[in-house]
Amino acid sequence: MTDVAHLLQMLWPLLVLQFILLVVALIAWFKTDETKGPKWVWLLIILFVSMIGPILFFILGRRTD
Amino acid sequence: MSQFLTVFKKECLESWRNFSWIWVPIVFILLSIMDPLTYYYLPKLMEVVDDIPEGMLFEIPEIPAPEAVMMALIQVSSIGILIVILLTMGTIAGERKSGIAELILVKPVNHITYILAKWFAKFVLFFVAFTTGILLNWYYVNQLFGDVGLTELIYLILFYSLWIMFAISLTIFFSTIFKGPGPVAGITIGVLLSMSVISGIVSRWLPWFPNQLSTYINDLLISGKISTDLWGTAGVTVALSIILLTGSFLIFKNKKVL
Amino acid sequence: MELLIENLTKKYNQHVAVNDLSFQLKSGNCIALLGANGAGKTTTLRMLAGLLTPTAGVIKFEGYQNGIDIRSKIGYLPQHPVFHGWMTGNEFLVYVGRLANLTKLEAQQRADVLLEQVGISDAKNIRISKYSGGMRQRLGIAQALIHRPSLIMLDEPVSALDPIGRREVLTLLEELKQDTTILFSTHILNDAEEISDGLLLMHEGALVEQGSLTDLREKYQSQKIELSFKTMTEDMVDQLNQLPEIDEVNADRDGLVCLISDVDQAREAILTKALTMGWDLTNFTVSRATLEDMFMEVVNK
Repeated sequence: MTDVAHLLQMLWPLLVLQFILLVVALIAWFKTDETKGPKWVWLLIILFVSMIGPILFFILGRRTD
Repeated sequence: MSQFLTVFKKECLESWRNFSWIWVPIVFILLSIMDPLTYYYLPKLMEVVDDIPEGMLFEIPEIPAPEAVMMALIQVSSIGILIVILLTMGTIAGERKSGIAELILVKPVNHITYILAKWFAKFVLFFVAFTTGILLNWYYVNQLFGDVGLTELIYLILFYSLWIMFAISLTIFFSTIFKGPGPVAGITIGVLLSMSVISGIVSRWLPWFPNQLSTYINDLLISGKISTDLWGTAGVTVALSIILLTGSFLIFKNKKVL
Repeated sequence: MELLIENLTKKYNQHVAVNDLSFQLKSGNCIALLGANGAGKTTTLRMLAGLLTPTAGVIKFEGYQNGIDIRSKIGYLPQHPVFHGWMTGNEFLVYVGRLANLTKLEAQQRADVLLEQVGISDAKNIRISKYSGGMRQRLGIAQALIHRPSLIMLDEPVSALDPIGRREVLTLLEELKQDTTILFSTHILNDAEEISDGLLLMHEGALVEQGSLTDLREKYQSQKIELSFKTMTEDMVDQLNQLPEIDEVNADRDGLVCLISDVDQAREAILTKALTMGWDLTNFTVSRATLEDMFMEVVNK
């Protein structure tokens, strides 16, 4: 069992970072007026494609002006 | 100088408002630590999750610590550099395409200042992201694989940053030639890919090709010494970046058709 | 300041966008660059603003020593201004002010004054992406003025606005022309007549007429008499042309139009002629030719 505890101790930053990435992407998604393509599709991508989804949204999803 | 700071600050504010200052460092950290962690923990995870019979457990050979650090560079040099290009492509080409450059460039803005400030802002962002990622990677490597000296690590960061700088310079160079971010990204990626192919072919005759940086950095981690080849390659990379930037200034200044 | 333009030409491959343009702009004037869409107005303004290199010709800003960056004396508003939507109106003005070498303090002071002047100070801390078209146009004018340029050039500043917005911007320009030289393009004669002192009329890349509004009015606002007949014969034009009281006779769809200088004399001469020739006159109208007629005539040529 100590193995599991050790595992969690080492891996929690990974999980926290992924979580922050997800939350920031959601905030950005919420604040964006216009997305390239339907907005709800991007929500699905952010939520269900782990790590890559938020990155794709940040780079390609938003219309910048 | 004050114009440089004005554009630089504006770029940083923009990167902050569009969350780049948050997500880029996070992604670089994830890229840097994911592989060593997976490599180390995957067998253990399998052990915990599944009741795999003893004989089925696959053995993963132990790897030396420098190799675990290099795992980060491998990820950064593919996905990381791709992000560098995709975020840099819009900085000039995007402003030209959208028409905002029309408002900016009728102000008495020095063209060199404008490009240099944008270049520097991007470099700072990616340098910070890359450094944070590598430092975390280093922490894990020291915990799980073995010691890597801090001096070697700092050398790695400094030398590899030159490659990031080169990628930014290349993207900015094409940004001044082509209007629209799409073509800029396409061509920059194409050039980098062909460079790595060419590098593979000619590395025997041209040992200082910029793409060789990672190879020599790997040697540095193992031997702890900076080889002549590393210095040479670094020099060539810096020289090429300066040439690309100078080219950007000239093209941008003479290209009045926005 | 005086802006001197000589033989300005811009060619794109075979297409001549601006052809051999020469004119000068005196300081303190408000000049309208008038022409139909595609007449070459935007190309001209972009060359003056330094965004396009002319194929040939000279653009000379007089009164400044050589080597000065002329952009610091010019304000320019493109037809469809684009901003950084993620900035607030205030941030954007301060940003371009700093780019125009104002100090931080000056830039902020100018921004405050201009936001007030163009009437968007309520929205100064709102992101530009939320601005309406009219607000963007005002912000555009404000950014053109941030560094107190001595010449501002506005490309179709009112054409994208609704009647109210248009009214407001025209009033604003009216105020501005007190202390700035203004060159603005438009395809609507009314806008030009309303605020400008002079006109530059462009057609298919060339300058076809120019002068102060008063001079042009005098030149083109001759009187005219329109005549219609039950049946028209070909010799009528010649007959009327022989009359010394008539300057020019043109035929149009409804009949004949005589340009004249003195109504009383011309009326008598024409009516006498009609009686002696036995023309079956159905309409006799005295009216004024306007700049509009001149504009339409040039544009429809």
